[in-house]
Amino acid sequence: MSIDWITVIAQIANFLVLVWLLKRFLYRPILDGIDAREAEIARSMAEAGKAQQKAEAAAAQYRAQQAQLHADRDTLVDKALQASETQRDALLAAARAKLEQEQQDWHKHLQREREQFTAQLQRAAAETLLELTRKALRELADETLEAAIVRNVGTRLHAIADELSQAAGDSTEALASTRDALPEAAQAQLQADIKKLLPHTALRFETNPQQAPGLILRIGGAQVAWTVDSYTDEFDALLNDRLGAGASGRMRSSGG
Amino acid sequence: MQMTPDEVIVFSAWGLKFNSTIVNTWIVMALLVGVSMVVTRNLRADVPPDRWRTALEVIVKTIQGQIEEITQKSARHVMYFAGTLFLFIALSNLMLVIPGFMPPTSSLSTTVALALSVLVAVPLFGISSKGLGRYLKAYIEPSIVMLPFNIIGEFSRGISLAIRLYGNVMSGGVIAAILLGVAPFFFPVLMDMLGLLTGLIQAYIFAILATVYISSATADPQASVNKEDKS
Repeated sequence: MSIDWITVIAQIANFLVLVWLLKRFLYRPILDGIDAREAEIARSMAEAGKAQQKAEAAAAQYRAQQAQLHADRDTLVDKALQASETQRDALLAAARAKLEQEQQDWHKHLQREREQFTAQLQRAAAETLLELTRKALRELADETLEAAIVRNVGTRLHAIADELSQAAGDSTEALASTRDALPEAAQAQLQADIKKLLPHTALRFETNPQQAPGLILRIGGAQVAWTVDSYTDEFDALLNDRLGAGASGRMRSSGG
Repeated sequence: MQMTPDEVIVFSAWGLKFNSTIVNTWIVMALLVGVSMVVTRNLRADVPPDRWRTALEVIVKTIQGQIEEITQKSARHVMYFAGTLFLFIALSNLMLVIPGFMPPTSSLSTTVALALSVLVAVPLFGISSKGLGRYLKAYIEPSIVMLPFNIIGEFSRGISLAIRLYGNVMSGGVIAAILLGVAPFFFPVLMDMLGLLTGLIQAYIFAILATVYISSATADPQASVNKEDKS
């Protein structure tokens, strides 16, 4: 066991060189690499944290936008529902109004047709009644209708002679109005009756195509008349009753 | 039978004789530095480390952890010194298993050189840490009577370091050589395996003791007193 001092010095030098070399090629690169990697990891973690915060913020913003969209959608749906309800109500109201209007128009049209039909029927009935009466009188009594009318008016004039004189007053003219001109015999008969009751009163005849068949006699403020109107009015009332009963019966049967 | 590699002259140049201790030391140094250079070239922070780099990181971080555990502070300079001691001694001892390779640590010259390095490094670290005055003052504490004892203690630490390492490594090699003559196959294998273990332990002990000496030389007594008061 001996110590070679030259070797000792050489080994000290070798060791110092080794310390420097390992410091240069081992410790510093390794420790600096670890520090750099830790710094890189810390930076990555910080970036990940920032990215996470950004992602959370984006998610929160997305959720807020989604909630806003839902709210807007609900509002729009509510508005649309309200608008549709309003439009539906308006359409229903318009339809009801139109239906009522059409019903009213239909009723008016029906009423008008009924009135026209009634008027036509009335005219036809009056004509028919007049012809039938004229025919019946000619066949049964060998008398014209106009003569019968004049006789009827004359009889009624005699019944109210006093009232007729007072009503005539100072009037000197009486007016006999018919739709068609009276036959001469009838005119003579009527003049004779007036002459007997009111000697100072002259009788004048005139025709009025608008007038109902019959005779209207006016003396001053008095008027004596016989026309088919009274009969046709009764016929019209009966007809209206029957028509009304028939319409309600149809409505009941259709309504079930 | 050669007891020390100092006596084996490998080559001579410029009038100097280069013995096996120096040459084998260069081999160990070349291995350590070469592996370090190959592994640590092109290091990038954004590239995951490969297995070699990971292995070196484990070794370096373990050494750093052990040293910081003793010094209780971050001490890279201590790590450069003590870590190199450990790596050099450990690799030298491990290379005992290579047939014909005489570890440089089996030379008393090497262990004396390493012990002298520690002996010089301890006051240097102490002076750089505390200053010359405070470092020298530690030799006369707690009384000036203790000065010769402290000086003797300081040198005996170095001598014990050198002798311990040399004795362990050299004895392992000598015993293996003796047993090779007795039982050529079985005992040398066992002794080599034991030598690997004791070689690593000796490297660890040498480096740890050096760290402890440096740590005691650099420690601030006032700071430790304050620390004890707080605890």
